[in-house]
Amino acid sequence: MAKKRAPTRRRSSKADREFISEAEEIVERMRDDLADLNDQRSESDEVDPELVNRIFRSAHSLKALAGMFGFDPIQELAHRMEDILDDIRLGRVSIHSSAVSLIEEAVAVFGSMLERLGEPDAIADESERIANLTQRIEAARSESQSDSGGFGALDLDPSILRALTEYEEHRLRENIERGRNIVLVESIFEIISFEEGLSDLSAAIREMGEVLSTLPAPGESPDSEISFSLLAATELSLAEMTDRLNFPNAKVRLVLDNPAGKAAKRAREPAPAAESTESHPELHAGERNPEGDALHSLKSISDTVRVDIRKLDELMNLVGELVIQRGAIGEVVARLLADTKTARIGTDLDKVCKMLDRKLKGLQASVLDVRMVPLRQMFDKVSRVLRGLRRELDKDVRLDIRGADTELDKLIVEELVDPLMHIVRNSLDHALETPEERIAAGKNPEGCIKVEAFQRGNHVVIAVSDDGRGIDSEKLRTIAEERGVIRPDENLTEQEVLDLVFVPGISSRAEVTETSGRGVGMDVVRSNVTALGGVVDIASTPGRGTTISMTLPITLAIIQSLVVRVAEHRFAIPLNSVMETLLIEPAEIQRSEGREMLNLRGDPLLLRRLATEFELTSPPADAKQFVVVLGMGDQRIGMLVDNLEGQQDTVIKPIQGPIQSVRGVAGATELGDQDPVLVLDVASFVDGSIRKREAA
Amino acid sequence: MQHILIVEDSSTMRALLTSALEELDVAVKITEAESGFEALRLLPRQSFDLIVTDINMPDINGLELVSFVRNNTAYQEIPLIIVSTEGSERDRDKGVGLGADAYLVKPFEPEALRDVVRELLTRTESGR
Repeated sequence: MAKKRAPTRRRSSKADREFISEAEEIVERMRDDLADLNDQRSESDEVDPELVNRIFRSAHSLKALAGMFGFDPIQELAHRMEDILDDIRLGRVSIHSSAVSLIEEAVAVFGSMLERLGEPDAIADESERIANLTQRIEAARSESQSDSGGFGALDLDPSILRALTEYEEHRLRENIERGRNIVLVESIFEIISFEEGLSDLSAAIREMGEVLSTLPAPGESPDSEISFSLLAATELSLAEMTDRLNFPNAKVRLVLDNPAGKAAKRAREPAPAAESTESHPELHAGERNPEGDALHSLKSISDTVRVDIRKLDELMNLVGELVIQRGAIGEVVARLLADTKTARIGTDLDKVCKMLDRKLKGLQASVLDVRMVPLRQMFDKVSRVLRGLRRELDKDVRLDIRGADTELDKLIVEELVDPLMHIVRNSLDHALETPEERIAAGKNPEGCIKVEAFQRGNHVVIAVSDDGRGIDSEKLRTIAEERGVIRPDENLTEQEVLDLVFVPGISSRAEVTETSGRGVGMDVVRSNVTALGGVVDIASTPGRGTTISMTLPITLAIIQSLVVRVAEHRFAIPLNSVMETLLIEPAEIQRSEGREMLNLRGDPLLLRRLATEFELTSPPADAKQFVVVLGMGDQRIGMLVDNLEGQQDTVIKPIQGPIQSVRGVAGATELGDQDPVLVLDVASFVDGSIRKREAA
Repeated sequence: MQHILIVEDSSTMRALLTSALEELDVAVKITEAESGFEALRLLPRQSFDLIVTDINMPDINGLELVSFVRNNTAYQEIPLIIVSTEGSERDRDKGVGLGADAYLVKPFEPEALRDVVRELLTRTESGR
């Protein structure tokens, strides 16, 4: 297959379009990064090395992309740009030389070339400009001074120096020039679990400086142990460092006691914090720590400050505790207000509480905001994988990505990568026909997979649509009957049949291919999404295509919930899933096929009783009841409860112990009065129609 | 069957390397590692006949991996190929100095990779 699609000069407008859209993205990113670089250059003499790395990588991607599509002049210019950026990042060309303006010029040329790529002669017209620019870049590079070697002053085993990449050498040199001490930290780990210990050690060293390299070596018993030598640069003395580094197994050794450092440190004394990598109070997400990011190698690219997610969880937890405490104060206020003798104080305290509320809301929103990441990275990954698969499967497909700026909680995004990848692979592998089949069906030979994300209320929807063959519901039904999932005479709506794809062991195609095979089915996708408190919906039209959408809560950490009461028990229902609440008479409940239904403005609404779900004492049948209408994705159900108690901010805490696996419970929360309350897992109720079938 | 370990953090490159190697005229088993750390974990658990590694990776770099393999009696005989975007002479020299058997610069021709792999695999075979 590679032979068929290798870098041939196949010139079709479709290939051009594909190239342009991706190249434009890269050029756009370069523009942004260059603008940041210029800001930094004007502010200080040191720029964030990661920023240069990123532009370097963009140039590299553009070069590879242009090469793949046969746009030679673009490839050539990108290549030159890559060269000079490499020189800058390795310190061979100064960031303050004319090099940056040459790079800017090159980016401008790319921009205008991409705009005109559809026109004939567009490239020919620019060729003179490119030649001229290439020449000037070469001239700028030849002025560069190359320095290599020169680590004689270091008391270091040559094996470590030998394994440094040129970039790492440059970072080492730069740190020596800046007067920092160089130390070597050595530690031995169990080979089966070295990563955790090593990353803790690296993180601890990063608190004090920059980790320059990590060299593994066999431990004393090579089968079970592995030793690591971390070369690091720091402004601390050996004593200070040993003192702070609280790792009993780590040996710290001074490799270079930098004399320049002490002088420099004294000179900088008035503002020592500015150089240290420790807490920058003014630093917030989106702003870059010019020192800290130097720690990451060329390949670890991120647009934000890196924070251990556990620290965010901790912060979130504290905010949660505060919210709970606030609830407790509220109860006190209510007691004070109830008594005429203390009502005045109650009113005053109430005012203070309202102020506190506003600040708390702000704090909560900020902490939540920090956890949010755009889906772009995940989508980029999908698009990369798809591009690889496309070649493998020899299918023509266009990927249409929308809403990449939509944000979701980092933890949810991490868990979503696999399900999303699975759905997309499925679409490519099973849903899309071969080009021949598509032509025969009168379709465009090029298929289209659309991945789209958007916010809907307090949920984010990620939908994958294809314009493929659609799901053969007859076949699906037959398989389900054969597997005994449904009875042959069972009456199912079209939607219920489609939902069968989520039942384990059901796949509308018997063959398993390498792409989406490996025994993982849509049931796993659903259970992954359900575990995140979300739901998966499917819609399909034969011959037209299939859409699979995942509806997810924006965050799992703090939610507004509706507190309801059943018998003596209280439950919290995440408010983002509550569509509305109704007060109904028992007579309004209709029964059919053993199910209880309610006529909701003309549409039948399936009812469930919370009391029955948790086997609690049912209320008297003749009393008025509240119905909480729950909705997720496209599905709705009504939950019957005895009473509504009001809205509360709740922090969901995972439950341990036997109750952990109880269906329908997402976790527990505390309200102001310190009583634990169970939080309902709405997805599991809403999705219940399928679950019931699974159990059968 | 010969077992090849590919160490590369870019999934696209991994896929390219794998597909290039799957077209070898002999059947090979390919295991992919997404990082140097993953390679360090895999090495003691499985036996490999050849390692193909990238240089620039987020945890440990390819040169460090080469150094580790060459310093470990259990693995030091495994042939090693470095495949890297770094066209830098210096990194190539270092890799070879540390004991890598070959160095390919990306983008490479799949056939060129297969040639090198074929040669290294036969070399170990006849060495046994």
